[in-house]
Amino acid sequence: MRTKRLLSVLLLAVTFVAGTGVTLAADAKAENPKAVKAQMEIDKADKARKKAASVESEWTTTGKLIKKAQAALKKGDYDTATRLAKQAGEQGEIAYEQGASQKELRMPSYLKY
Amino acid sequence: MPASQVIERICLEKRHIMKKTLIKMGALFLAGGVALAAQAATPEEDRTAFTNHYKFRFPDVPMEEYPNGAYAIDRIGRENWEAIEEFPPYEPFIDEGQEMWETPFANGKTYKDCFSDGPGIKSQYPRWDKKQGMVITMALAINQCREANGEKALKYKKGPIVPLMSYMAFESRGQITNVVIPEDDPRAMAAYESGKKFYFTRRGQLNFSCATCHVQNTGLKVRTEVLSPSLGHTTHWPVYRSKWGTAGTLHRRFTGCNRNIRAKPMKAQGEQYRNLEYFLTYLSNGLTLNGPGARK
Repeated sequence: MRTKRLLSVLLLAVTFVAGTGVTLAADAKAENPKAVKAQMEIDKADKARKKAASVESEWTTTGKLIKKAQAALKKGDYDTATRLAKQAGEQGEIAYEQGASQKELRMPSYLKY
Repeated sequence: MPASQVIERICLEKRHIMKKTLIKMGALFLAGGVALAAQAATPEEDRTAFTNHYKFRFPDVPMEEYPNGAYAIDRIGRENWEAIEEFPPYEPFIDEGQEMWETPFANGKTYKDCFSDGPGIKSQYPRWDKKQGMVITMALAINQCREANGEKALKYKKGPIVPLMSYMAFESRGQITNVVIPEDDPRAMAAYESGKKFYFTRRGQLNFSCATCHVQNTGLKVRTEVLSPSLGHTTHWPVYRSKWGTAGTLHRRFTGCNRNIRAKPMKAQGEQYRNLEYFLTYLSNGLTLNGPGARK
């Protein structure tokens, strides 16, 4: 009876400690503003990449930068992740403009008719 | 604000706008040619414009040389190429392709049942298929034949389709490119125009179009490689490329070219590249088929 009670208390204590640890870690991650910012930039960059793809104008470099940003975020290098993601986002926007600005065929002047 | 200051401000803004406009025009000039609004040129007018451009650029190169690509205009490269052609690296692919052509499918039928004029049928492709409402290339036709006979489709850039196409190209040597755009189906012209637009659209981080290399700068070099003219681009495929260490298809080259300018490539044998092939092959109308080929 006593042993049973002791085991129950021990189990409760372990669960409490583990739960606290998980909550603390989650809170730490969730509250890290740099990590949040990096993830936001990555999401924004991927949106820009898809926007460029919608006009058949995606660059190969954009996807590579996003992957590097994701890897940096995973490693905890939030500044690098943010910087790379911003670069990817800019590329996505420029690539979209590149495609959208050429909706109509415009012939170059060096080809004479 | 006194009137004199207002006038001064307006003058300053006008000068600023003028300066920006001049800078933009300068940038456009440097980029190589101010784009003009698309003219409603016919395919034959396009082909004439291309032909005249290359004739002006390379006055000593006869038309029959254009199927040889960069080796029509690169004397030193041509010497190496002629030496390679004495023992062509694509020969084993022709032999393998012949075996494939002659081997029956699981159901007992062969490629001959799909292509009664075959194997020398490369000059029939690409062509507009009214029933399917799209451009059919030889590669696509091969896979449609396979699937119709219960076989798996082959991959379009490398692998077994290459030897089969090499054999068919070899058997088609000497035929004349003759793409016809049917007048009774406006979708065919739309496919041609789509291919033309792809050709002239700048893409990738390097902001090049196909025309940037193969019209505007043809004959010049990118690193060590001479940029070939587009006339004759489609006559010699599949190609054994030394860079690949094997033979590959035209659409594999399209994807490589797009990657070189850092543009995400389209799908091999997808609509965009089939339409591009349609446009490019029309430009080579009148030129002799000479595949398979060997290139650096």
